[in-house]
Amino acid sequence: MSSTTTSSGLARARKGLAPGGSGGGTGNRKSKLSAQTSRTFFWLLLPSVILLVLIHGYPLFHAGIQATHDGNLIQTGSFVGLENFQKVLSSPAFWKAAQFTLLFTIVGVFGSWAVGLGLALLLRTKIPAGGTFKVLLLLPWVVPIVVSSTAWNWLVATPDSLIPSIFRNLGLGTPLFLADPTLAAVTVMIFKVWVSFPFMMMMTSAALASVDTTVYEAANMDGASRFQQFTQITLPLIARSTYISWILMTIFCVNDFPTIYLLTGGGPVDATTSLVVLAYRTVFQDFATGPGVAIAFLMTITLVVVSVILYRQIRKSSVE
Amino acid sequence: MSTQTAFSRRNFLGLTAAAASVPLLAACGGGSATQGGGGAAGGAVKFWDMPWAAPAYNDAAKKVTEGFSGANSKASYQLIQWNNFYQTFSSAIASKTGPAVSTGGGFQAFQFDDQGQIAYADNVVESMKKNGMYDDFLPGLLEPFKSSKGYVAIPWQLSMRVFWYRKSLFEKAGVEAPKDWASILESGKALKKIGVFGFATGSGSGNNFGNHAMIQMMANNGGGVFGTDGQLDVMNDRNIEAVEFLLELVSNGIIDPAAVGYTSENLDADWKGGKVAFGPHATQLDHRVGDKTSDIVVASPIAGPHGDKHGLVFANNIMMYTNTPSQEASEAFVEYFLGQSKTFWQQKLINALPVFKSITELPEFAADPNNVKIVKEWQPIAKTFAAQGTTLNGSLAALDGGQALNQFTQTVLTGKTDAKSALQAFESGLKSVLKK
Repeated sequence: MSSTTTSSGLARARKGLAPGGSGGGTGNRKSKLSAQTSRTFFWLLLPSVILLVLIHGYPLFHAGIQATHDGNLIQTGSFVGLENFQKVLSSPAFWKAAQFTLLFTIVGVFGSWAVGLGLALLLRTKIPAGGTFKVLLLLPWVVPIVVSSTAWNWLVATPDSLIPSIFRNLGLGTPLFLADPTLAAVTVMIFKVWVSFPFMMMMTSAALASVDTTVYEAANMDGASRFQQFTQITLPLIARSTYISWILMTIFCVNDFPTIYLLTGGGPVDATTSLVVLAYRTVFQDFATGPGVAIAFLMTITLVVVSVILYRQIRKSSVE
Repeated sequence: MSTQTAFSRRNFLGLTAAAASVPLLAACGGGSATQGGGGAAGGAVKFWDMPWAAPAYNDAAKKVTEGFSGANSKASYQLIQWNNFYQTFSSAIASKTGPAVSTGGGFQAFQFDDQGQIAYADNVVESMKKNGMYDDFLPGLLEPFKSSKGYVAIPWQLSMRVFWYRKSLFEKAGVEAPKDWASILESGKALKKIGVFGFATGSGSGNNFGNHAMIQMMANNGGGVFGTDGQLDVMNDRNIEAVEFLLELVSNGIIDPAAVGYTSENLDADWKGGKVAFGPHATQLDHRVGDKTSDIVVASPIAGPHGDKHGLVFANNIMMYTNTPSQEASEAFVEYFLGQSKTFWQQKLINALPVFKSITELPEFAADPNNVKIVKEWQPIAKTFAAQGTTLNGSLAALDGGQALNQFTQTVLTGKTDAKSALQAFESGLKSVLKK
């Protein structure tokens, strides 16, 4: 089989087309709504819009006031413009937290995706007690974070905990997982991957289930290797779902307070302080409401930008 | 295959912004208070209390509260969890749904006094002078609560930090329990030889004992974070000396190198498991870790290199708010609650130290030799977080549990610093918080 034929087959497969089949494009489905229908839609949507404005709009507006004023949780002080933002952006603690948040998010998103994808692919094969296995794999996602962080504390916190003991017995020393800044950061990230991979696994499993198996038959007929099938069929066909899961996991990671706070409290020496932990501490431990809310605003803006970029990828991955 | 999107980019942006607003909402969200203003239904005094001990304490406190009938008023009881308590109080007070009277964080009364929300307790103090309660206070407890405007709160129980030791481990190591800093070092080295740490502390998630140990050692040496005038005085010689000593303990392996990441549960497990032999902790550590053999006991105050002997105390207090159905009823309730508080010690429901001499003399309290020793030896020499000063203020809340102290403690416990650098960073962190 010529490479040209193979490429052609893979190209058809990527589009989700069966061999010799025709495309499934839907064409332009936009239809013009009648004025009457539009009015009906408007009135039906209005209660939800009002609720959204009240529930999201007012707190955002109030947060905007707090971010541009000094004062405290009870009394908003005088208007200070962007001073709180300047204060936050000139603080080394903010940039250190931003750096950790970035790393934590990258590892959290791609680590959990890689593990989730691997297990989702594994679960597509026929394995004994597959159903039970799936349920067990969901446990890290299902168990309350307070419980799992306590369990991880037992596993790693003291020199006599299980994992340091294993290292010691293997002659690898006694790592201080929560006391060494680097190891603490690594531990928190692994914990995040462990907590999150079931979500990624479920998202990927759902995406894989929607892939037509005849696509792989076509690729096999064209002589594509397993690796080629994975990189040129599986990944492109689940790309949309993947990007959506990345967006969600990015939001989960950036906003993740309990995973970090319960395991390390942001320490040691701020080694695991993320932006959301820093915002919490700034508002509720240092009682600096304005700068704390400013941090939260900056996080929100960043998340919106990242989400838009990923959303563009989703549109690019859409196949017409 | 068609993958035409079902929602527009604008819709998506709206959705994303909503999802991303979670941290904003978390940062500015309100508390959980739902009841009406300082008076509950029927104009009763609304009393908010914290979970100071086991749930049995809360049941007893509720019963005491509901037994109030002074000033032609009643009182209602509501338990407030420590988690985000400041937010809960703040948002409730801001929305006029807060309590008329409450217990709370050690410096909460000063914080809310700065915001004009506290009703002064001068009338309560005057009344207590007449009925004998004033003279019943243990020495030096009430005056730190007097601001230039009046008494912002009344202490009702003490959270002490004292040194504890496990007798059997010292016997096994062949050394005496420490009496001064030099013998902490000496005994620590001997204890290390039997695989035991000679200075127990921790500063992991939610664990403030490490922070308190730092201030306690400074205060013990006659130092402290604030000067006698109430201004920051971090870089004094006594503090430097204290931090140098702590770093020496770290470098000699007398403090567990993993302690920087220890939660209070990890620390207690070490006490329980015999991994540590000596260190500062709260009252009733022996009960806390379930030691019924009298092997864990309170040490006598330790002398610093200049002969100073000081402990650390947090005077937990009861405070009144301006939002009340009746100031007279609030005052009557505070006096009533203080008068009834002995029942908590009689029933052994609370681990903290009482503020009244008469309670320390109750047979139920005096039966515990550790309690007696703390009252006799530690309470009279205990200093507050304001050390070297004596006057409390709202700034202390930012010190207690704030980022600056926590980072300082963890820096010292990792041992990768020198005393002056650590203290300078601490001072800088405190200044940035306190100047706001």
